[in-house]
Amino acid sequence: MQIATPVLALFRVCIYAFLLAPIVVVVLASFNAGNFLTFPPQGLSLRWFWTFLQNDVFLDAIAYSAILAAASTAVSLVIGTMAALYFVRHAGREAETVRVGVLLPLILPEILTAIALLFFFYEIGIGTEHKIALFTGHVLMTLPFVFLNVTTSLQGRDDSVELAARTLGASRYTAFRRITLPLIAPGLATGAVFAFIISFDTFGVSFILKGTGSAPLPIQLYDYLRFNFTPEAAAVSTVSILLTLVLVTAADLLFGRKA
Amino acid sequence: MTEVSLRALQKLYGKTLALKGISLDVAHGEFVSLLGPSGCGKSTTLKCIAGFEEVSDGRICFDNKDISRKLPEDRDIGMVFQSYALFPHMTVAQNLAFGLEMRRLSKSVIAERVAKAMEMVQLTPYADRFPKALSGGQQQRVALARALVIEPAILLLDEPLANLDAKLRNEMRGFIRDLQKRVGITTIYVTHDQDEAMTMSDRVVVMFDGEIAQAATPEEVYDRPASERVARFVGNANILELPVMAVRDRAAGGFDLTLPGGTPLHLAAPAPWANGALRVMARPEQISLTDPGFGQLGGRVAKRYFSGGHVEYTIDTDCGPLLVLGPTTQAVHEGDAVGLTFDASRLWPMAPESGAKP
Repeated sequence: MQIATPVLALFRVCIYAFLLAPIVVVVLASFNAGNFLTFPPQGLSLRWFWTFLQNDVFLDAIAYSAILAAASTAVSLVIGTMAALYFVRHAGREAETVRVGVLLPLILPEILTAIALLFFFYEIGIGTEHKIALFTGHVLMTLPFVFLNVTTSLQGRDDSVELAARTLGASRYTAFRRITLPLIAPGLATGAVFAFIISFDTFGVSFILKGTGSAPLPIQLYDYLRFNFTPEAAAVSTVSILLTLVLVTAADLLFGRKA
Repeated sequence: MTEVSLRALQKLYGKTLALKGISLDVAHGEFVSLLGPSGCGKSTTLKCIAGFEEVSDGRICFDNKDISRKLPEDRDIGMVFQSYALFPHMTVAQNLAFGLEMRRLSKSVIAERVAKAMEMVQLTPYADRFPKALSGGQQQRVALARALVIEPAILLLDEPLANLDAKLRNEMRGFIRDLQKRVGITTIYVTHDQDEAMTMSDRVVVMFDGEIAQAATPEEVYDRPASERVARFVGNANILELPVMAVRDRAAGGFDLTLPGGTPLHLAAPAPWANGALRVMARPEQISLTDPGFGQLGGRVAKRYFSGGHVEYTIDTDCGPLLVLGPTTQAVHEGDAVGLTFDASRLWPMAPESGAKP
């Protein structure tokens, strides 16, 4: 069935509007000169960005989120790549079990993963101490994204290149480092960006597992908005959106064409 | 001197025995093809030799040294893959240099040997190209050069021509064969294409169901196949079941057979199992067409296919339909009655298939 082009175009505009409007509203609201988080903004100003930059609570939260995201991304890259290599090179029930296991946090509601981890860590007597539970949660949340991206970049590949390297005298490790790793680098980069952003943004897992002390940015924002309603929250969001955009663009410029 | 020696090689996948005891000796500098349909174990055999698959039982020796448990990188082999398996992120020169770098040779030695190898496969102008910028034939030559530049003890080729078009495939056959003879390297070549195996090899190893059915020169495999299955796999075969009238010498050969219609046919080949009747093989080009009423057997042309160099006929006879190859100069048409003459000196008796009565 053929859909008329103008109708299709209108549909497309609607979808983009639906997706982008909230972001546009938040960004515009952050330049608000007024005292309350309103839209349309009451005059333009950068005062709330200035306020935010002097607010140690938010700066700490951003730093904390960035470190947490970087650490969980690093761990996810290693585990996710290993799982992807296993899945692509093996067939049958074992490989399928690995795939479902790794993707489970993506399939289950985030809150279930979080509650399950909470029970588990209290059961083994660690609870939410030392951020171990929070970190584990973030690794689980980011793992599927590394796994899916690396799997995709492996699947189109010719398996025999690594074997060819072996016949030429490369050990298993050297063959991986010199041949497979460069070939899956675009998938690793995309997976890393996704993982970082997911960890940076995720709420449910952080909310339930964060424990006492400093909290990731989304939690800090939520706490702030419960008692305050200033455009500072929008300013924080704008900065966070900007960080995400920079990351995605950088990854796309570096690897986009190869991936 | 035996370069490669397979001793009762067995490979078990789960509960299925993919290799049921393969024993084979490949002489120094010999070109041996493993030929068979898919699933016959030829690729598994090659993978075991390369070290990609562990053997379940038996031994693989290079120069009388057991290498069955060695890792692929320690076996000193060069291998060409069906997909070529070139490193896509490296240039042609870097692809060739890889194996030499693994051997920790000096930069100058590597450059020299890479240059020489590129000359050998006529790819010098393409040194800085990436594989995807090359044609299939060129990629094939890079793969060959990459396998040979490390000067391995054994060259393994896994259906290297399967992805090329027919014309290029013919060119590459000659190219690989000439190169192999020039370098003098012991070569094991896996293919399912009987023409390829015949034209290139010193010896053809026909495999079925994880076993060697026959290992012999191309001429012998074609003219004196060990079984009906081999006969049919390496070419077209007419099988005629004929009663034995007189036995002159079972072992040395000499049987008088009768064709339908009573014409005698002498079989010169030995057939120790001959008993009442013999199944004999006649290749299509070993039967010639004559005028009706002449020849040893009468028939009628059922089908005629012109194929450029010759004409393929299917002739209906009292022995069933026979495939005959004739010259294009003969004016024979579908529906014509013809006479058939057999080249008796090349008739070959078929051993009874296992399970059949002796």
